[in-house]
Amino acid sequence: MRRLLAAILSLALATVVGSAPGARAQGKDTITVALPSHAPTLDPHMHFERVGILVNINMFDSLLHRTAKLEFEPSLATSWKALNDTTWEFKLRKGVRFHNGETMTAEDVKYSFERVLEPGKEKKKSPQYGNVRAIKEVKIVDPETIHVLTDKPFPLLLERLVFFPIVPKKHIEKVGEDAFGSTAAVGTGPWKLVEWKRDQYIRLEAFDGHWRGKPAFKYLVFRAVPEVATAVAELKTGGVDIIRNVNADLLNDLKNHPQTRISTTPILRVHYISLDMRSAPFDKKAARQAANYAIDKQAMIQKMMAGLGKQVGTVVQPAAFGHDPSIQPYPYDPKKAKELLAQAGYPNGVDITLHSSAVDWRPHFEALGQMLTEVGLRTTVRMWDPGPAWNKFFQAEGKATHGQYGSWGNYSVFDADAVLHPLYHTEPGGWIGKHYARVEGLDKLIDEARTSIDQAKRKRVYSEIQRMIREEAPSVFLWTQNDTLGISKKVAYEARPDEWLWLYAAKPVN
Amino acid sequence: MCIGVSVVTFAILHASGDPVMLIMPEAPEADRARLREALGLHDPIVTQFLRFVGNAARGDFGRSFFHREPAFGLVMERMPTTLALTALALALAIAVAIPVGIYGAVRRNTLIDHTATVVVFLGQSMPVFWIGIMLMLLFAVQWRLLPVSGWDSWASMVLPAVTLGAFTTPLFMRIVRASMLEVINLDYVRTARAKGLSEWIVICRHAFRNAALPVVTVIGLQFGVLLTGAVLTETVFAIPGVGRLIVRAIVQLDFPIVQAGVFVFAMMIVVLNFAVDVLYGYLNPVIRLR
Repeated sequence: MRRLLAAILSLALATVVGSAPGARAQGKDTITVALPSHAPTLDPHMHFERVGILVNINMFDSLLHRTAKLEFEPSLATSWKALNDTTWEFKLRKGVRFHNGETMTAEDVKYSFERVLEPGKEKKKSPQYGNVRAIKEVKIVDPETIHVLTDKPFPLLLERLVFFPIVPKKHIEKVGEDAFGSTAAVGTGPWKLVEWKRDQYIRLEAFDGHWRGKPAFKYLVFRAVPEVATAVAELKTGGVDIIRNVNADLLNDLKNHPQTRISTTPILRVHYISLDMRSAPFDKKAARQAANYAIDKQAMIQKMMAGLGKQVGTVVQPAAFGHDPSIQPYPYDPKKAKELLAQAGYPNGVDITLHSSAVDWRPHFEALGQMLTEVGLRTTVRMWDPGPAWNKFFQAEGKATHGQYGSWGNYSVFDADAVLHPLYHTEPGGWIGKHYARVEGLDKLIDEARTSIDQAKRKRVYSEIQRMIREEAPSVFLWTQNDTLGISKKVAYEARPDEWLWLYAAKPVN
Repeated sequence: MCIGVSVVTFAILHASGDPVMLIMPEAPEADRARLREALGLHDPIVTQFLRFVGNAARGDFGRSFFHREPAFGLVMERMPTTLALTALALALAIAVAIPVGIYGAVRRNTLIDHTATVVVFLGQSMPVFWIGIMLMLLFAVQWRLLPVSGWDSWASMVLPAVTLGAFTTPLFMRIVRASMLEVINLDYVRTARAKGLSEWIVICRHAFRNAALPVVTVIGLQFGVLLTGAVLTETVFAIPGVGRLIVRAIVQLDFPIVQAGVFVFAMMIVVLNFAVDVLYGYLNPVIRLR
């Protein structure tokens, strides 16, 4: 009996000891960021999660970069110009090194594009293919010059190139794709990979040979902390230095705590309720407009977002190219809403159901439902887990689903097309548009704007589009939000309007 | 039994949604169709199930849709961590429940007995994640005694183990107490006392040995509950365990991981119940196989 007990105990002890990894090194030269999770791979082309992008931008460079004021800046490309409507020329930076010592060349640039575009192959591996589909070919003119050819004029090209990391051809061919995405990730960025413990942390070290010079911190660690309360506790005790997406109710706590502060800035992410125009009641314009008049956006922004948001006239964000500031948001007018609803044929109101998978915004969703109910659009709100959600309500072909509350981040592309096309275009390759939107003439205008590189013309077309959708109201237009970071007082860093964490700019406070 | 579990899991997973929609929600339909083909999701359901069973027999549950790595490997990688957490919590729970339960039985209706009962019931009515967060706020933020989260030092194991243990202790304590009460007035215990043995030996070796049977049963049953309770603890304390992995996989419709995880859990519970049966035989010779 005693021997059996002893055996069991030692086995248990061995298990426990065996599974406790070494203590984490935390010092003044380390900056730690808490993310809710990690992307499934470090390979920058083979995922599209925001948490992955945040890590990738610190390890890899793209052809272009953006300053905190959102201006384009040379990165791996030192200059660029359009040769004609469908060809752009880029001059590459000389003497850039990868983390493994090899020099970056035009070969690597061409390889990076072909990895995602996979010309000639039917099955594309990269989920980012859709972003750069318009690129037909990348030609090497000489070791420092490349040409990017598109099949039609592609005004978003420069925007898309701000996040298109360049990866090392020879290295990947040597170690293989799997290793590149997990243990042997190599780029030209300011930080190089030291260790990735899945679901725990990604540890990066400052790269000595980076072309911009070394960052202020020696180590950068991305910890996976799934629970908000835990992340806040870690911030307060110095376990992490930066946390994202701080909710309105935590703001004062972090503002007043002696070790922490808040940095917040407006970003592209815009909120809306997409209305199903295929069936009643939102097939009637008056009903859609009624829904818009029913929402007290200012009150919601003040009371539920601590004032960190801005109401919008349409889904086109103020910071996006093509935004027309003369288009005013719908005012809050519940009386008018009731009148319009009666005009639409519902003097006694109507029952509708709205769906959403924005679990973080549940209280807001419920408040929206209540405001709509007050004017006669008796709303049942259904919140879905991000899992089965999309399948259920969007693909319910023919069955009315009335509407969806959601938000759109544009992939950080500051252009009206990046929100108009997915939300309203009805082509099969689109996103919500093909299910819900049925605005006459809108498709044609969107296509016109996205295939011209005459910026003045595009601006005019986008103004027309915004006037049209403001009138037709295919959505209930709500607000743009802020990106709010909780930051330790020991670190100097500010939130960026493109939702990036560009930690090269972070410095310790003395 | 394992086959039954597999069938049910397979059926539920496949009925609950389209993982490709989650992997590439913003890609055109043509690209999604390609990914669906690559993952084998376009085959008829029966084909997919047979493929799954064939592979499972070889320990191959396929590659995770999200991590693109073998699902079985991912699950087994994290299993020791979850097991360690569960074992520690169990040990803590037993270490508290047995003395308190025995004391409660022996000194019934005293102040200590009643206090213990109240505390223990409080522990049972508070949700696991709430206990975890409260403990974290008190011991890690307010008084910097322990690390907030993670699983990388002995100190960081304390709060999670206590949280999970607090969740289980009440049930054990009550069983121990009730079981001891049943046994303590039986004839053989009185005989042992009459023989002149010290009270200590009477209680521990004679009475408890027989009272332990129901306790062992409950431990065996509770292990399964503990494993699933570990999921919440892992989430609150950012521990890289298998519970967290499986929960995320469920939300993301990552079939291979859910199937591998459920299968491994089912096997573990089978093994554990077997061990409990063996322990029975040791504790009570009457039950031993002839």
